[in-house]
Amino acid sequence: MAYPYVSDHEVRVLSKHFGDPSHRRIGTYVERGGYGAVKKAFEMGPAQVIDEVKGSGLRGRGGAGFPTGVKWSFMPKDSGKPHYLLCNADESEPGTFKDRELIRWNPHQLIEGCLIGAYAIGAKHAYIYCRGEFFEANSILARAVEDAYEQGYAGKDILGSGNDIEITVHQGAGAYICGEETGLMNSLEGRRGQPRVKPPFPAAVGAFGMPSTINNVETLAAVKHIVDNGGDWYRQFGTEKSPGTKLFCVSGHVNKPGNYELPLGFPLIKLIEEVCGGIRDGNALKAVIPGGSSVPIINAEESSRCNLDYEGCEEVGTMLGCASVIVMDDKTDIVKQVRRMVDFYAHESCGQCTPCREGSSWTAQILKRIEYGRGTEEDLNTLMEMTQQMVGTTICVLSDSVAAPVQSSIEKFREDYLSLIRRDEKVGAA
Amino acid sequence: MSDIPFKNPGWAGNTGEFNLSEEEVRGEDFVGTRPVHGGHASGAGTMPYMLAKKDPDGALFEGEYRERLDKILSRYPTGQAALLPALGLCQEIRGYVSPESMDAVAEVLDLSPAYVRGVATFYTMYNKRPVGKHLVQVCTNISCNLAGADEVVDAFLTYTDTELGQTSEDGNFTVIEAECLAACGFPTCVQINSRYFENVTPAEVPKICEHLKSERE
Ligand SMILES: Cc1cc2nc3c(=O)[nH]c(=O)nc-3n(C[C@H](O)[C@H](O)[C@H](O)COP(=O)(O)O)c2cc1C
Ligand code: SF4
Ligand code: FES
Repeated sequence: MAYPYVSDHEVRVLSKHFGDPSHRRIGTYVERGGYGAVKKAFEMGPAQVIDEVKGSGLRGRGGAGFPTGVKWSFMPKDSGKPHYLLCNADESEPGTFKDRELIRWNPHQLIEGCLIGAYAIGAKHAYIYCRGEFFEANSILARAVEDAYEQGYAGKDILGSGNDIEITVHQGAGAYICGEETGLMNSLEGRRGQPRVKPPFPAAVGAFGMPSTINNVETLAAVKHIVDNGGDWYRQFGTEKSPGTKLFCVSGHVNKPGNYELPLGFPLIKLIEEVCGGIRDGNALKAVIPGGSSVPIINAEESSRCNLDYEGCEEVGTMLGCASVIVMDDKTDIVKQVRRMVDFYAHESCGQCTPCREGSSWTAQILKRIEYGRGTEEDLNTLMEMTQQMVGTTICVLSDSVAAPVQSSIEKFREDYLSLIRRDEKVGAA
Repeated sequence: MSDIPFKNPGWAGNTGEFNLSEEEVRGEDFVGTRPVHGGHASGAGTMPYMLAKKDPDGALFEGEYRERLDKILSRYPTGQAALLPALGLCQEIRGYVSPESMDAVAEVLDLSPAYVRGVATFYTMYNKRPVGKHLVQVCTNISCNLAGADEVVDAFLTYTDTELGQTSEDGNFTVIEAECLAACGFPTCVQINSRYFENVTPAEVPKICEHLKSERE
């Protein structure tokens, strides 16, 4: 069965069973070798599991790209306190749609990853914080966890190994900021999902005040395959510094949008042209956001030399983020789209920090003014200055996420702004 | 359900080749929903569905719902952690979370009413006021917007003869804009109660609405 679109360039590890509903059944999953990695991890012992993941070079898929094995090694060894593993399934970065697919097509792959992760960091309880809007994915996941309990893959004395690991699916309630790691912890504890000041870091004081580690859905899903096949196997894909495969969420003006699993380092232009069938209606490429709405926009020239890995994106002044590639053709109204993104951040700001709370809504208002033809050239300077004050001054980086699209679009598509600003000049105004 | 007259409800891909039925897509085991008592405690905190039929005066935390709350409480080191799932239960039963519901939650979890109010109002998914039988949330964020989400919003507003956030006269629909629903590759994405409708174009809007009105509850 074909998932909406597939491509010969893909290396389907995590997404191998997308489009096949039978794979959700625990029987089918086990028949195809499922839960073998848990057994193997229990034989290896926590230290060796962490080493294997470190060796694979796997980097967190939630946006920041921090090496997963290293993160796990920050957990205290004998704190005497309960540890928690938190799986971040709050996916709400505009442009990102991989975690929902990973859960609805292959829930057991994630559960297996959670069990391994929890075991490695000495956690007896894993919480999967699943976005509130995902009713369907939530039901599928809850059902799969239930099946895992029934068959002895979760709960007490898993597979007779003496290891106890509980898994709980927790449904969020609609707030982008709960995807931020400490916001998620507050939300899990029944508080407003407002980020906490770091330090202390989650490995010291996390959920319920206990040492915790938080990982994205895709990260944990990849862990299952790394334990199954070894870190060296994982390194055969991708680049030296960005190893492995990654789900690319392509949306916008391409002929075949969708999720594609590709080795990291894949050229952006090849992704657009060969994998996604080019730009819709034969139009020309104008701009790309390669990592979700929080990263800087790049223009067509930069896109043509961008390789999709953490370093490659940095080279052209942007970030890989969660590899949510938003493609815009030459008919796109950039100002409107930037304004829409900033509206989003203004809506989602948790309100704790003044630069973020005030800055995001003022930025949105000025952009709206420009969009409706009432802006001035001076507004562009104001926008640059104001967003600059929002960078690095707040508790979390949501504030910085406003600056990224605004500043990059003004730098690269200044003409688009000016043509709106000077709309009336054509009739003679100075 | 396979006779849904439009393309791939809650499903991706708008080419004919993927014209799968909802059962084929979700797998028959997963159509339908979770039991009211919550099933195994590990998943009791997930909402099984959003009912089209709501009972604004329905009893909270009684019978099977009480059983579910107890299961939820058993999964966390603190009672406060059950707050979000408990508010979710209120919404599931009554269709929205009224101040009275918030107070009931405060009492059952031994929290202060002010605290519960502060948390409940932080989250957008809790409806603070009653909404129509079908809450239509159209994503207008960037990827959907690039595909023409604004026209989809207009089509819903025209069909229902409402303004954003207003409930239609027959009580069937409330249309609002939503932020990214994490289905950006399949735009425009529209969430209606607990279901996702993907690849929605303005032309399909009347069909979808007619279908919802005709559906069993
Ligand atoms: C505002 C904001 C929103 C975020 N949203 C998400 C999210 O929805 N999903 C996610 O996995 N990570 C999100 N993150 C990143 C997390 O804070 C965290 O880095 C990540 O979950 C760690 O997992 P990883 O190491 O596996 O990447 C967000 C970060 C910020 C600052
Ligand atoms: S930067 Fe914004 S979202 Fe982050 S903590 Fe401050 S106010 Fe909240
Ligand atoms: S932008 Fe509409 S679902 Fe993501």
